[in-house]
Amino acid sequence: MHLTREEERILAGELGWAKARALEVIVKVGEAVGAEKLVKISHAHVSGASYMTIGEAGRRFLEELAKAGARVEVPTTVNPVSYDIEDPESIPYTRIDSKVLKGQQAIMKALESMGVKLTLTCTPYYLDELKRVVKQGEHVAWGESNAVAYANSVLGVWTNREGGPLALLAAIAGRTYYYGPHVPEWRRPVAAFRLSRYKPLDSAEAGVLGYIVAREHKSERPPLVDAWFGGEGPLKEFLAAIGTASNLAMAYIPGITPLEPGNEFEEVIDLSEEDLKREMERLAPPGKPEIIYIGCPHSSTHELRELLLALKSRGKPKVEIVVSISRGLFTKALKEGLVDALRSYRVRFIKDTCLIVSPFSKYGKDVVIATNSYKAYHYLSRKGVKVGIASIKDMVAMAL
Amino acid sequence: MKTFKGRPIVPGDVEGEAIVLDSISFYGDVDPEKGVLYDGRTIVNKILVARKSRGSTVGSYVIYSLKLHGKAPKAILLGRSEPIVIAGAVLAGIPLYNGLPEDFFKIVSDGAKIKVRRDGFIILDL
Repeated sequence: MHLTREEERILAGELGWAKARALEVIVKVGEAVGAEKLVKISHAHVSGASYMTIGEAGRRFLEELAKAGARVEVPTTVNPVSYDIEDPESIPYTRIDSKVLKGQQAIMKALESMGVKLTLTCTPYYLDELKRVVKQGEHVAWGESNAVAYANSVLGVWTNREGGPLALLAAIAGRTYYYGPHVPEWRRPVAAFRLSRYKPLDSAEAGVLGYIVAREHKSERPPLVDAWFGGEGPLKEFLAAIGTASNLAMAYIPGITPLEPGNEFEEVIDLSEEDLKREMERLAPPGKPEIIYIGCPHSSTHELRELLLALKSRGKPKVEIVVSISRGLFTKALKEGLVDALRSYRVRFIKDTCLIVSPFSKYGKDVVIATNSYKAYHYLSRKGVKVGIASIKDMVAMAL
Repeated sequence: MKTFKGRPIVPGDVEGEAIVLDSISFYGDVDPEKGVLYDGRTIVNKILVARKSRGSTVGSYVIYSLKLHGKAPKAILLGRSEPIVIAGAVLAGIPLYNGLPEDFFKIVSDGAKIKVRRDGFIILDL
């Protein structure tokens, strides 16, 4: 691999032990995948921050790295943690015991001491501060799969699917390996999926479409997906499903992805309304929901407005609606009056966390959940929770 | 005795007994503090052999944890590796070899004596 003189100096330890180790890992990974060089990054987003996910192993790793004096070289944000840091008891049915509380605090302390900003969200792309630091065409190192897909497919900001530790090490090194979406040639879609349909996809349908595309697409290069997404929520859910159900880092969406796609596809796959309907029926909620769950990945204010509209037209539901959201967007929605309006319809907000990375699944196995998120369905069902997928409108109707 | 070539990602000279899996996800397949697999076999001080590794972010942390607890394998030999395992092995300083050929996987089995060399040669004692 070609290294600059500065990179050689970092590797030789002239800028500290931690930075040398971080760059060493990036170089080794790059060499293993055949990358020709490194690329400087302008931002990093670290996944795997919840104590429930990374446990003692992750905690020890982060603490040792912090103790060795590691510091991030670029602005760095981080994924959700195991509870709402200002209101740990806000997750329904769930108790946060002292082991989780202490483990999580240690993880956050280690991250913060390395200079990581504790945004605690899996949708960093909705944060105003991100829009200030990252410009289209720049290279970043993101770990969270839904954010990776969103960066490459919507923002035109290039990133590999780094995974948590690698994103953090790239942040410390200020660089990542030049591979995958970083390479212009690689971003050209190799297969095209077309969904002929005369109405836009809602968020639940978009997620299920993402799952179907992920299942059918065999390359690690991006698919082109020609479908009508009914707004920001559906786009986010589609990309999150792609990231969950495959190792893909990107989908090319005509009219959204800021690139020219080219038109040399190895195959064109036509999907029908029937294909989508069949999967929607298969994945429907297993009975009357006791919780309606929105905000996986963390909610946007668009989704909050969509939910409010649905509630206003149908009335107050009998079951609780749980929305997980970043603290950043929650504060914004609070100022806009959206939070209070939604709370009057039995909406409960959980910040900094979600039903997947919190200990919820330990306590909520017998609770029937309806969600508009394929990603939430995937992970909750794997943890043994009774869960199914429906649109926001249908879920509100079910809850009456 | 049969010799194969792998690509050293983390080079090292070690010898040990094979423990063979088709694929490994360090997160989920291995107890990070005990080094015991989901099926009860141990990877502690073994030469861990798998055709491929499956990725979950947490895998890197698990490899690191195995090392901290003194329960790491002596080396990891893979057909195809991915960034998660590479990051873990580099950080933990566990010898890691990539690109082992299919012929190797066909004849290697649990308990086989393997000598791993820094130059990439993997010597299987049959």
